Amino acid sequence: MFKNYIKITWRNLWKDKTNTFLNMVGLSVAFAVVLLLGMTVWFQLSFDNFHENGDSIYKLVRTQQTPRGPEAGTTQPAPLSISLKAEVPGVKRITRYLQDGTLALYGDKEVDMDVVWVDQDFFSMFSFPMLSGIKTEPLGDLSSVVLTKKAATKLFGTTDAIGKTINLLVNGTEKPFTVSAISEDIVAQSNLDFEIAARFESHGDYMDNKEEWNSQYHDVYVELDKGVSASTFENRSRSFVDLHYKESVDKLKRDGAVADIDGRFINLKLVSLKDVHFTSLKNGYIDISRSMPYLILGVAFLILFIACVNYMNMAIAKSAKRLMEIGIRKTLGAQKKQLFFQFWSESLFVFLVSLSIGILLCLLFLNNFKVMFDTNFSSEMISNPFILLGLLGIVILTTIIVGGYPALLMSRLGTIQSLKGKLESTGSNKVRDVLMVFQFGIAILLIIGTLVLWSQIEYMRNKDLGYNKEQVVSFPLNGKRNSNDVVELMRDELKGNPDIISISGADSNLGLGKDGSRSSSKLGFEYKGRSVSTNFLVVDYDYVPTLGIEMVMGRNFESAADSLGVIINEAMAKQLGEEDPLTVQLEINDGIYYPVLGVVKDYNFNDLDRAIEPITFYMSREWGLTYAYAKVSPSHMASSFEALELIWKKLEPNAEFLGSFLDENVDRTFKREKTMAKMISSGSIIAIILSCMGLFAMSMLIVSQRTKEIGIRKVVGASVFSVTYILIKDFLKLVLIAFLIASPIAWWVMKEWLENYVYRINLSIWFFVVSGILAVFIAFVTIGARTIKAARQNPVKSLRTE
Amino acid sequence: MLLQLRNIFKWVNSGGQRIFLLKDINIEVEEGEFISIMGPSGSGKSTLLNVIGMLDTFDEGEYDFLHESVHTLKEKHRATLYKEYIGFVFQSYHLLDELTVQENLEMPLLYKKYKNSERKAMVADMLDRFNIVGKKDLFPAQLSGGQQQLVGVARALIANPKLILADEPTGNLNSAQSEEIMELFKKLNSEGVTIIQVTHSEKNAAYGSRIINLLDGRRI
Repeated sequence: MFKNYIKITWRNLWKDKTNTFLNMVGLSVAFAVVLLLGMTVWFQLSFDNFHENGDSIYKLVRTQQTPRGPEAGTTQPAPLSISLKAEVPGVKRITRYLQDGTLALYGDKEVDMDVVWVDQDFFSMFSFPMLSGIKTEPLGDLSSVVLTKKAATKLFGTTDAIGKTINLLVNGTEKPFTVSAISEDIVAQSNLDFEIAARFESHGDYMDNKEEWNSQYHDVYVELDKGVSASTFENRSRSFVDLHYKESVDKLKRDGAVADIDGRFINLKLVSLKDVHFTSLKNGYIDISRSMPYLILGVAFLILFIACVNYMNMAIAKSAKRLMEIGIRKTLGAQKKQLFFQFWSESLFVFLVSLSIGILLCLLFLNNFKVMFDTNFSSEMISNPFILLGLLGIVILTTIIVGGYPALLMSRLGTIQSLKGKLESTGSNKVRDVLMVFQFGIAILLIIGTLVLWSQIEYMRNKDLGYNKEQVVSFPLNGKRNSNDVVELMRDELKGNPDIISISGADSNLGLGKDGSRSSSKLGFEYKGRSVSTNFLVVDYDYVPTLGIEMVMGRNFESAADSLGVIINEAMAKQLGEEDPLTVQLEINDGIYYPVLGVVKDYNFNDLDRAIEPITFYMSREWGLTYAYAKVSPSHMASSFEALELIWKKLEPNAEFLGSFLDENVDRTFKREKTMAKMISSGSIIAIILSCMGLFAMSMLIVSQRTKEIGIRKVVGASVFSVTYILIKDFLKLVLIAFLIASPIAWWVMKEWLENYVYRINLSIWFFVVSGILAVFIAFVTIGARTIKAARQNPVKSLRTE
Repeated sequence: MLLQLRNIFKWVNSGGQRIFLLKDINIEVEEGEFISIMGPSGSGKSTLLNVIGMLDTFDEGEYDFLHESVHTLKEKHRATLYKEYIGFVFQSYHLLDELTVQENLEMPLLYKKYKNSERKAMVADMLDRFNIVGKKDLFPAQLSGGQQQLVGVARALIANPKLILADEPTGNLNSAQSEEIMELFKKLNSEGVTIIQVTHSEKNAAYGSRIINLLDGRRI
């Protein structure tokens, strides 16, 4: 029996090659897409899932009500963790966590490494598997360090490094540390990432900040006792906050901050470790959102849905051709369930073949996909039994529904009816129409999404940020020399080069450089009896002209004596509220007044999803610079870049040159948006192609079913044009309905998304018009040629076949 | 007695009016008969044949087949009954285009759950009996009409039915081929198979032992 089914299946599929091919291609592509996107999502959702104690570990967040609204931050002061453990019950273990890049030295090797400065409990809280060395509490000594396998290989050339001594550059001096353990490399699904882990107390800033409650510069992770919930802890921490943050609370009250619903000004909140990857602290609230991975999953299933609709529509349409077979089988004694099983097993066969091709495609494009979408999952995931079972489940489920529905329709037909070859088609046509509207709706939704996304990205790329991003190169000062000296030396060395216009430095980068690190400093102080807060940037002399920032008032830093003055931006001037900002003296440190030397025009030093905040420039050799900026002339940009690299190599032979133009840096900050845009646009392209394949096959079938009608119409005198119009009209109507349904949804979704950006494009009507025209055009091209051909056929020929 | 129809009515409602397809039909068929149903187009010949074959239902009356009351049976049981005892032959042969001659012959046996070896033997036997062994691997499209109908008859016979129902079996054939098929029917009838055929042709009807004439759904 089964052999017979397979034979029939095979011969039927073979006979109808075009349809089979379209179906299989569609389903294979859809399965491959589902696999790839599914793995991406799984990867995202499994972030930080591997820690054994993960359920009781939390990241500490401090929220406070300020006069400007609520604020939230993860950085904490150094004395907090010890006091918290001692004073608030329920804390099992606690660790401070400070991420930093430091030069590691061993022999004559100098490597810039990612270092985390943590407490002793770090390795008992988190489950990082150890390769060798002391496996429990490897950071028992202040001078112990743990290296990952990769870091050890980089530094020693081998992982056999237990007990060896390395030097880390701490506050500009080399400090010896002993390797106590080597850990496995950190898996990609970890937010806690390091090459070297060292004790927090050994960090350069520790001694100054040990008892300093106002200096917040590191994260804190807490592990609670069994049975203690996050909310219990948050409630218990209230009296702790009242005690230690009394001064801050009083100031907030005085400045007119409004208390939250619980009547509080400062709170300590916990974010579960598993939520950390999905947490953003926007507008002062803790926002845990997994919508991005679910959006991707949604796109994957939309594409699968489109392919399934194609299959279903074609199967139903094709059933007309198989009515005879159904009738014959019934007269020969086939029961409903046998017929159902036969047609269903045909679908199963097609699906299984498509799935196999899909898996092959997925493996084939895995690497391209990873590069293109910047995700990092491993191909081992395909062989993960859970995923395999899940996949099989999905396939069987879709087969049951997608293959089952047409099979059910077919097996239900009456014997006599099907023998006569007549199909009452009104009912199933409605289903078909609804499915096609859905399908095209999805495609249109994705087209609009793609257009809006790319427009927003283009807008952000091309927006005038208030500084010169095309001509300025920035590079991290990651060498051994004093940073101010390096900038000075480079300035001297490059004096003779006419293409290098100026060189300066600051303690923060603009955009995201090749080193991938970002930082910002904020400062709050009293001005005329109220608190003001500002971003704080340490700069070198020529910072303002090098970056081409416009001065609107006063003057730039001119001599070393200006280190006692500051330059502020317009937003800061506005905050100070003085008529003439140049008269202001800011008491940044107790008792020392800094005069405002000048005011610069507002420029976007933050990403474009944030409004321009107040910023204060400060010029001092004491604080050190971390990035150098060089303005080059627009001619010979490539050779100027090389000249910079050459000088850098000469001055810092052991440090890598990680320079890049600022426009590249700014582009890098849109990485998330670009990945999303790429994903959605690839998704929409695939969706459109699949929909068109379905439409094409459908139009072929319908034209063949309406051959007689076409013939009759032509015999009574219809023109080619009017026949074509009649045939195409129905499809275009569906596309238009799909457009009408999809547009408002797209409008709402895109509006919500654009709300995330302070600087955003207008959601103009043209996005929708263009998408609609595009959809209609694509639909027309897909079905046009075939339909016109059918309409041109000699009516005698088409009537004769009846 | 093989089957008996008593006061069979079949109708459709169209525009508030009841249109009778079959009106008070009474027929008794003994085993071994060869009956021809005749009448003009639309007189209900095919409907009657379909009712006898249990492919179609009726609205009123009683139908006994081998002492089973068909009118009280559920569809599933009716199917087991007809697939056991009745073979169908169609005007346009109704062979499955995707299957070879051999596979077409095998198909009814699949639905009757015969074992593989039994099926092979019965198919080989039938191919032999109809002299079409050489064509067993050909597809229907590669055969002439007469040959296709030969396969159709062979398929109807393969499971040893008691009754063969033929709906204008020679309607698509030329006269020589027609004669061949009718001779075959006559031979089968002499071997004990009961046959009911629908036909337009007096000549074909003459092969039968009895003629039932229909007009507007009534026996005349």
